[in-house]
Amino acid sequence: MSHRWAAPTALADALGVLATDPGARPVAGGTDLVVGSRQGRRPLPDSIVAIDRIPELAGQRADPDGSLVLGALTSHAWLASADAVVSSWTALADAAAIVGSPATRGTGTLGGNIMNASPAAETVGPLIVAGAVATLVSSTAKRQLAVAEVATGPGRTAATAGELLLTEVRVPAPPEGSGSAYVRLEYRAAMEIAVVGATAFVALDGSAGGDGSAARATIREARIALTAVAPTIIRATAAEERLAGRSPDAAAFAAAGQAAAAAASPISDVRASAEYRRAMIEVVVARALSAAARRAAGEDVPVPASRWAHGQEV
Amino acid sequence: MTATIERPFPRADGPAKATGQADYTGDLTAPGMAHGRFLVAGRAHARIRRLDVTAARTRPGVFAVITAADVPDRLYASSGFVADRPLFARNVVRYEGEVVAAVAAATPEAADAALRAIEIEYEDLPLVLDVERALQPGSPLVHENWAGYEKDGEIVAEGNMAARSTIVKGDATAALGAADVVVRERYVADMIHPVPIEPHAILAEWSGDRVTIHSSSQVPFAARTMVAETLEIPQHRVRVVVSHLGGGFGGKCDFHYEAHVAALARAARRPVRVVFTRREEFTMPDKVGHGMVVDLETGLSSDGRIVARRGRILLDCGAYAADSPVLGQIACMEAVGPYRIPHVDLDARLVYTNRVPSGSVRAPTGPQTCWAVEGHTDELAARVGLDPVEFRRRNLVTAGDEGPTRQLFEPNGALRALDEAARRIGWGSPLPAGESIGIAAGWWFSMPSASGAFVRIDADGRGRIVTGAQENGTGAVMALAMLAGDELGMAPEDFAIVYQDTDAGPYDTGSAGSQTTFNAGRAVVEAAREVRTKVIAAAAEMLEAAHADLELRDGAISVVGSPDRRVTIGAVATQVQDDGGLLLGAGSGTAPTKPEHDASACVGRLGFEAFASPTFFCQAARVKVDRATGVVRVLEVAAVNDIGRVLNPRGAAGQITGGVVQAIGTALTEGTVYGADGRQRNAALLDYKLPTAADAPTIDVGFIEAPAANGGPYGAKGVGEPPIVPTAGAIGNAIAAATGARVRRLPMTPERVWRAMREGSDGAADPGGPLAPAAASAGEPASGGAVPVGASAGNRR
Repeated sequence: MSHRWAAPTALADALGVLATDPGARPVAGGTDLVVGSRQGRRPLPDSIVAIDRIPELAGQRADPDGSLVLGALTSHAWLASADAVVSSWTALADAAAIVGSPATRGTGTLGGNIMNASPAAETVGPLIVAGAVATLVSSTAKRQLAVAEVATGPGRTAATAGELLLTEVRVPAPPEGSGSAYVRLEYRAAMEIAVVGATAFVALDGSAGGDGSAARATIREARIALTAVAPTIIRATAAEERLAGRSPDAAAFAAAGQAAAAAASPISDVRASAEYRRAMIEVVVARALSAAARRAAGEDVPVPASRWAHGQEV
Repeated sequence: MTATIERPFPRADGPAKATGQADYTGDLTAPGMAHGRFLVAGRAHARIRRLDVTAARTRPGVFAVITAADVPDRLYASSGFVADRPLFARNVVRYEGEVVAAVAAATPEAADAALRAIEIEYEDLPLVLDVERALQPGSPLVHENWAGYEKDGEIVAEGNMAARSTIVKGDATAALGAADVVVRERYVADMIHPVPIEPHAILAEWSGDRVTIHSSSQVPFAARTMVAETLEIPQHRVRVVVSHLGGGFGGKCDFHYEAHVAALARAARRPVRVVFTRREEFTMPDKVGHGMVVDLETGLSSDGRIVARRGRILLDCGAYAADSPVLGQIACMEAVGPYRIPHVDLDARLVYTNRVPSGSVRAPTGPQTCWAVEGHTDELAARVGLDPVEFRRRNLVTAGDEGPTRQLFEPNGALRALDEAARRIGWGSPLPAGESIGIAAGWWFSMPSASGAFVRIDADGRGRIVTGAQENGTGAVMALAMLAGDELGMAPEDFAIVYQDTDAGPYDTGSAGSQTTFNAGRAVVEAAREVRTKVIAAAAEMLEAAHADLELRDGAISVVGSPDRRVTIGAVATQVQDDGGLLLGAGSGTAPTKPEHDASACVGRLGFEAFASPTFFCQAARVKVDRATGVVRVLEVAAVNDIGRVLNPRGAAGQITGGVVQAIGTALTEGTVYGADGRQRNAALLDYKLPTAADAPTIDVGFIEAPAANGGPYGAKGVGEPPIVPTAGAIGNAIAAATGARVRRLPMTPERVWRAMREGSDGAADPGGPLAPAAASAGEPASGGAVPVGASAGNRR
């Protein structure tokens, strides 16, 4: 058994290794690959390409059209605290802020979280409801793919052989009067993994209530993504459709939660029974919608919304 | 006295641990060291049809592969109760983590490859996983030839019942029949793991016919004894040394793998080190907290006084008995609780199953039993319309009351701890929406046992303490310097401590049973007093003063009233040395005696028929229950303890704070999940959920000092275990107060709380009829030999 290791400092070099060494796997933070190996889920690949020193993958920028472009190496810690993310793509900050431990958040990257294709990936629901698009490259080509299309199953992606690197993610500017939130069911207050999670995006029409509430507004558009209830993170389209044109109130959110739960196919495992998971989908969806609508109306719901959501009456 | 004790002081081992310089056993290496790995069964119950290590032995880099064929063919009793266990499986494996073979190789990878090259064929045997079914006639047996095992003469065993103990006083049957109110409930607790952050690690190195074993042990002397016994070598050729220990919580009590690694090192003819993985830490060591079934039936008078209690307790022993046989008796005592109950009839059965062996994890059986008893106590209070605090006030023991076997209680802090915990948590005050409060009281024992110490003062005026005591991280051994300093008028920092080396220190039970300060403290005080006598004699001559006029203070000896007439302790030590003597002292002290009691009606009397120097405590928890999800956050815990005289307030408060946090895990998120195949499904820290720092509530620690007349040094009692006992009970009662639903499964996970809210309880079966009386004479199991509880009669509500 031979082990191979490369640590290129240019994107072209990394792509070259990946093209010539079919078994090679890129690693940035290593928080999935290395931890998975230690837990015996799968051995470390024989060939590893460290991509953490590639400048083309690093950094973030705001584009003139208002979209945010995030390099693959963007850390969860950055996402959780960057003003732009917290103010405009708040669900993404909610999600990034509760990934693993401070060490995980400092080391683990956005690109890794997406390409690991876990149905429990925290940042992916927020990216999906934001309409984010990933850029995948190989040594010969480059293409855009909606983040929603990247994962095709647990640990499986739409990337073709040789097309193993995600370089950046473009998150479009959110419309006026919108807000988003990610709420995860948490058994303990830190170091958790999603048992179920929900991301909500809510755009409101009409003025917010005088007290900052969304009481007099109507929902122009809602988007919901469900985490850890299916082989990939899924949109709850039936629930979304029920919300359009409705007043953003507890009854609407509860009904959307029920519709979302009906569409999910949760499993029973060591973390929860399917029955409990299904019931909790209702709860996290309603709470995520509530937090997103409050944010859309200009109300302050602190990041991470999961902490705010504990015991919250929708 | 009192110059030094009761004052905070910096621990001698603190800086090395805080800066990362402290060496733990897994950090140690030796020249030429090989890496050891174990092959474990990976299945819960099977017969070994074929085992062939020939191919593994010939792999590159492999120095040795050993199995049962390479060690003496004998069964051992790790704690002296039942000789039921071989070092390596012989013919049968009885739990998934049972060791079948061990490999020593040049690298961990080579060792792993050798493990994979071992050829083994199993024939699966029927699993024994349910403690009730295990006791029924015709159940498959975990130990086919249990009757032939050597065991302690007091042990009552039959079939899968590894041991049985009862605590009986008065006539519970008659008293329950005459009671105004009788409440029956069943509580069920899952197995819990101690989860020390440092995993087990052992490095064994032979020199001629002597072996030095560095081990992450809480009990190095017990380990030495068992290495000698299982490998059939004299004890004096075995030295067990412990580096800094990264926590134990009982998981490193008892004898574990020291003999395996010693045998492996002998076969490999070089030092061998084994460091456990986290998965191994969960599935292999024979020390987990028992899964328990607790049936309670209590009779009350209409004014809310407890008149009688019957209890039937099942403890999941796992595959081997280890020190569990004694723990059923503790569970019975805990099931009575710190209450005045004239008639008691408690019966605990320890049941073999094909699970990882249970044992004395921090306060063994305490958290589970107290959780059941205190939930039950709140239900009792509700039945007679009393406030939970008032109900406890009417029933807690006070001085002069009789215990479960008629031990007479000295003045104690049980009642004051209750009132103080209630006051600190704001019992009865309005709470923010969604918050609730629960309270729980409990008791625990101190454990008299042998311990010894040497104390010396060198000519430079510095002291040295040599002790056999084991520092598991609590600071108890570090605090021995405080006791010696107090006797000798010196600061704790003036002493170095030599500890956890069986070649250096005198015998000690180890870090177990909350006993270190209680016993090693007493030994150090006695040794220091011997030195003190010598210091005073020499100083009296140097100062030309009477012995009685001298005081020892701030590192010097002076004449009372004439501070100028003074010599430093270093000057005294130098003078003594110049005169051909030395300032040496040795002590073991006199162990406190157990209170008088009457256990004549009890069977399985293994040493806990009465509690020596009992501690009393009460905790109140304020929680917020998320009613939609069942997730419980603990916001505040008031923990008030009578641990006798508090010698080291910082250390004692640390024990209580840590205990509360650990117990929050027991209450809410920890608990072993097994598959139908008898294998653990959450043997990793992601799914065996310890509390994190973010889960730690505000913890308000209080002490009620009721010095024990017959206790440890200066009236101290034990503090290591008590703090973990009542927390789950307080949280359970807070959950019930918030939701109106009683969760009778531990841990009270979000899903269980959610179910309880929907269904009125969590669905744990209550006993269907009155509990059957226990047979009072030795040896006879109660009617039918099976557990005398009905299968299920739905919910009580």
